[in-house]
Amino acid sequence: MLKLGDLSARQLTSRLADDGLYLETGRFVTRIQSSIPSVAHGLGLLYGDYPLQQAAQFADFHLRLARPANGRRWFRPQVVLFQDGNSRFRPLPLAHAFPMFEWGLNWCISSRAHDYLMLHAAVVEKDGRAAILPAPPGSGKSTLCAALVHNGWRLLSDELTLVRPQDGHVLPLPRPISLKNGSIALMRDFLSDPVFSPAVIDTHKGTVAHLKAPTDSVLRHAETALPAWIIFPRYEAGADAVLTAVGKASAHVRVAKNAFNYSLLGGRGFDTLADLIDRCDSHEFRYSRLDDALATFERLRPGQP
Amino acid sequence: MWRLSPGQQLRHRVWDRECALYNDLSGDTHVLGSDALAVLLALRAGAAGLPALALVLRRTADDAALTRLLADLERLALIEASAC
Repeated sequence: MLKLGDLSARQLTSRLADDGLYLETGRFVTRIQSSIPSVAHGLGLLYGDYPLQQAAQFADFHLRLARPANGRRWFRPQVVLFQDGNSRFRPLPLAHAFPMFEWGLNWCISSRAHDYLMLHAAVVEKDGRAAILPAPPGSGKSTLCAALVHNGWRLLSDELTLVRPQDGHVLPLPRPISLKNGSIALMRDFLSDPVFSPAVIDTHKGTVAHLKAPTDSVLRHAETALPAWIIFPRYEAGADAVLTAVGKASAHVRVAKNAFNYSLLGGRGFDTLADLIDRCDSHEFRYSRLDDALATFERLRPGQP
Repeated sequence: MWRLSPGQQLRHRVWDRECALYNDLSGDTHVLGSDALAVLLALRAGAAGLPALALVLRRTADDAALTRLLADLERLALIEASAC
């Protein structure tokens, strides 16, 4: 199957500006159209390993990023994101075009994929067992996730955990990892030869950059995993790496608060989450040093952390 | 007399001494103790008065903790007062 990386820079730019790319990420196909150079650059940099579907095939989501046709095309230029032909989002500075694509795709999935219980959580896998990391912004979730997936764990997602109600499996959605502010420099130093999109400053999240997902994780995008752990990470300056057990009923409520569609799924959401809690050990995880965090995760065993 | 609020199915899961229960009316999930769950399960069999519920918990009908528990469950719309 054709991959995005098989296209030359010229072909990529041309396809994006014309009929669009039909990009496959996990189980979703997104049609992307844009003539904005930074979008083509970001896609070329971070999505080279991803399959492209044939044009005119079904796409779950249709996204177009364009410069507005008003004065803001030239004065303090902006970018507008169209989803299914409609502009639902506030225009952003043109320099934010690539992160806007990432945020827009997150929005599409989190507001539409209700076949799954969707958690705001990173999820990684090793030896067939997944660890789910639910956490609010600022807890170090994506930083920890980035460190793990470059040290033996497979990236299933850094942002959206999709749990299949029928069997409790987590569906992979390996996409670039969104890092913010100090985490960007931290991971540039911590990882060997990381591939980042250009850092974009002054977004509503501060400075953001996206880290390329490991190729192996992208190639194994159809390989689901059963969760074994729920880990609530919390970065705390100077803290030793410590796991603390969390009771299952409390874990249930905490994960529900980090879900996008728990209430919308009603009783089915409750049962899916309860089954997930049943099969997982739940822990709070306080840490400050990534090496210590990796060592702690290395020691994880089902039933005995 | 007390009864379950109409529509509550008491979908729940018990782990150790705690229970997670889905509130069909609010969409919330509550963590409940064993006494609260015992009262709810008793009311699933039908409306009951204070003496019967006190018996379930092996308490007396004038037990202040039982009164507070019923008030809490009512506030969560899990139960409601019943005329008969």
